[in-house]
Parts: sequence; structure tokens; C-alpha cells
Amino acid sequence: MNSRLLLHVVVLAGAIGIVAGCAGPQGQAFMDNIGGVDGLMKNLKQATGTIKEPEEIEMGHGITETLLGARPMVDDAELQRYVNFVGAWVAAQSERPQLPWHFAVNDSDHVNAFAAPGGYIIVTKGMMNLLQNEAELAGVLGHEIGHVVRKHHLNAIRKGAYMNLLGAGAAGAAAGSQGGELVNALVGPTKELYSRGLDKDDEFEADRIGLVLATRAGYDPWGLASSLQTLAKIKPDDKYMALLFKTHPNPSDRLDRLGTAMGTTFDTYSNRPQNADRFQRAVAKIRTAALN
Amino acid sequence: MTRTWTWMAAGLLLSCAAAHAQETGYTLRETEVKAKPFLDAENVGKLPEKAQVTVVSRQGGWTQIRADNKLEGWIRLLSMRLGSPDPQKKPTAVATAIGFGKQRPGGGPTVTTGVRGFSEEDLKAAKPNPEEVKKMETFTIPPAGAAQFAAAGGLNAQTVSYVDADGKFVKVKK
Repeated sequence: MNSRLLLHVVVLAGAIGIVAGCAGPQGQAFMDNIGGVDGLMKNLKQATGTIKEPEEIEMGHGITETLLGARPMVDDAELQRYVNFVGAWVAAQSERPQLPWHFAVNDSDHVNAFAAPGGYIIVTKGMMNLLQNEAELAGVLGHEIGHVVRKHHLNAIRKGAYMNLLGAGAAGAAAGSQGGELVNALVGPTKELYSRGLDKDDEFEADRIGLVLATRAGYDPWGLASSLQTLAKIKPDDKYMALLFKTHPNPSDRLDRLGTAMGTTFDTYSNRPQNADRFQRAVAKIRTAALN
Repeated sequence: MTRTWTWMAAGLLLSCAAAHAQETGYTLRETEVKAKPFLDAENVGKLPEKAQVTVVSRQGGWTQIRADNKLEGWIRLLSMRLGSPDPQKKPTAVATAIGFGKQRPGGGPTVTTGVRGFSEEDLKAAKPNPEEVKKMETFTIPPAGAAQFAAAGGLNAQTVSYVDADGKFVKVKK
């Protein structure tokens, strides 16, 4: 595998190892040469700041290996295909239609959805069970597509808090394992980033993008709002919601913001399809399984 | 026989969906009640803040409601919330919201499933699973396939700009 990205990260991460005190005078000379810790962090930021699309996809692939490592996909090919159809159609309305968009439902009863750079999107089975129609799903997928389109996760990694982790992982990977170096380097930052979550403003922005992408795709624009109304009535300490509620603004705040952004503008698109029948057929198997 | 059970379960789900449509909510603020789901429709009354309502149906940005005082009509979807205005009072569990975990008709046991988690702990304990990502990538749909799927669902692409936090249209910076 490998790419310019890993090279950047590994070279610069070597220096992080030095900062950690595992090198001698040569390392000190190197550090002086690149301008100490500040210079190092600046270089690391530049390394990720110039990520090209193929590298972004490679990174997303690596992050998704860890996300699907937490819970694998639901064994239901028709459901997986269905979610890919809806997702591909919604993503086609974005400014990055050429990305190889991939969607999956993971076998988790928790209610959540995740996006990784390059177009990898995971929705939990618990979320699928909570949604009522395809317009709601389009809104939820549109929100995740919004994170990818605006590179929210890439930017979060660049902000520095994750750089030490990425660097340490890359240094470890370069020192030891064979193959999958980037994946190994990404394990730490992935866990940290996806359990901490993005900035609230990124989430509000993704809601507005999800709204518009679902509307562009021809759906009832209130799908996302409707799904948030379902989330808003669930008790905040429900264990199935813990990670979602920790990593996102509360659903009522999101609804208030979304309501302000929607105003009456989207009334033009009322009476657009919700496709509840098609959605219910797609989730019939997982819902039946949950009842047995 | 298995099929019969499957259909019965599906029927139960549909009745859950129907029950879902009959759920209750409350107004966030003083709200006009309209005769029809349109901005310029006739007002049939007004509800105060935190008025309890029963949801009858939904259409686009409007919810058809019935209030305690028998007032019926349409209010803006985003001027109400589902559930109770007091979060301490009867909060809904996920299982209830989905319609699972309820007593089955005929007195069967309460439905429970083993928790398959994606909690913070599950995430922290995760090991990369390359095979699953390869599997995920096999489901990718080409653009032509997506367009066909959209047409079959009666979906027509629209031209709509992004909106900012205040609802103003914005141009996309490429």
C-alpha cells in the first residue's frame, strides 16, 4: 500500500519519537534543524493539509477498518445494497459526486452514524430501526455526506490534538509491522476522534448540508428534522444513545438551528416523496430479527 | 410456517408504525393552528406554549394535531416536539421509540436482544478489520444505478443552494 501521506507522517513522526526522548545527539540535531517542536507540528499540519484525494480515500479506508473493527456489517445484502442506493443518490447531489461513496449498516443496537474521509459512511442498525422512511434516511446520510464534503474529520485531525497520536502510531508502524502501516498509524487518532466528536459548528453545518442534499435528491426536506424529533424524545441517559449524545449537540438544539435555517424556504418542496414503503421493505428483516 | 410468523411480525411492526403516528407531543411556543397544511391557509385557532397535542398525521413541514380542547388542524412541524415537555416525566427509551421491548400480544415474554454495541468502550477496544471494509466496498453503486433507483422511487433532482445558519442561500466555495 503506501503513499506520500504515510511517508510524510513517518518521517515527521520519527521526530516525535525523538521528542519523546528515544534518540541521541543525532536526533537533537534533527530537531534543531526542523525548528523544534513548533516546527515539527507545523510540518505535520502541512503534511495533512496537502492531502490529495487518493490519500484522503486511503485514510478513510484505514479509519473505516477500525470503525468496522468495533462492529462488523449486518449480514443482510439487500439492506446494504438499499442503503448504498439511497446514499449514492444523495451523494450525487453534492459537490464531490466523483468520490467512490461507500455505505454500510453495522450490526450495532446503538443509535449512531459515522463518516470517514474519502466517502466512507456507516449507519448503525439501531439508527435504521429508529428511522421511519427513506426521506429520513436521506437526511441522516446527507448529514454524514456533509462531513465528508467539508472535510470535517480531516480538518479535526489537522488541528493538532490528534497529531501526536498519528505521529506516534506512524513511528510505531514504521519501526515494526509489515503492511497496513497507515491503518496502524490511524488506529489511535480514529478512536480518539470518534469518541470525542467534531466541533458543534461542524455538526450544525452538516445538518444544513444534509437538509439541502436530501432536498436536491427530490425527498421531503423535513426527513432529517423528523428523525431528530424522534431522537429528541429519547431520554438523554439511554445507553443506546450515549456515544451519539456525547459527540453531538443535543437533538433539540439541532432542531432549533435547523428550523431557523429552513424558515419557510423549503415549503416550496412540500409533498415530495418519503418512500416509507420502500424503506420498510428494506428494514423488514432486521426488524423481524429484533422481534424474535 | 416460518413465513406465517414473519408476516405476523411484519404486521406487528406495521401496527407499531401506526401507533407511532398516534403519538403525543407539545408546542414549543404559542402556535397558530391552520385548517390546511399551508402557510396561507385559514387559522382555526391558537395553542399556547407547551400545549399537549396528539399527532394525527404528517405532511412535509406540517403536523396534523388534535389538542386536548378538541381543537384540530395543522401546525408547523418545527414548532412542536414529540414526547413530554418535562424531560423527567416518562422519558422514552430507545426500545420503546422503536416499538421493541414491549409485551407481545398473547402474553409472550418481553422482547429483549443481546446488546451489540458501538459504545465508546467498544470503539476503544476495536481492532482493524480489513475484510469488512473490502466487503463494504463491494456494495458501491455506480451513478447510473443511483439514478435508476431514484426514478423508481419517484424522486426528481432539484436545484437548491446551500443555506447558512440564518437560512440565507450561499454559494459553494469549490
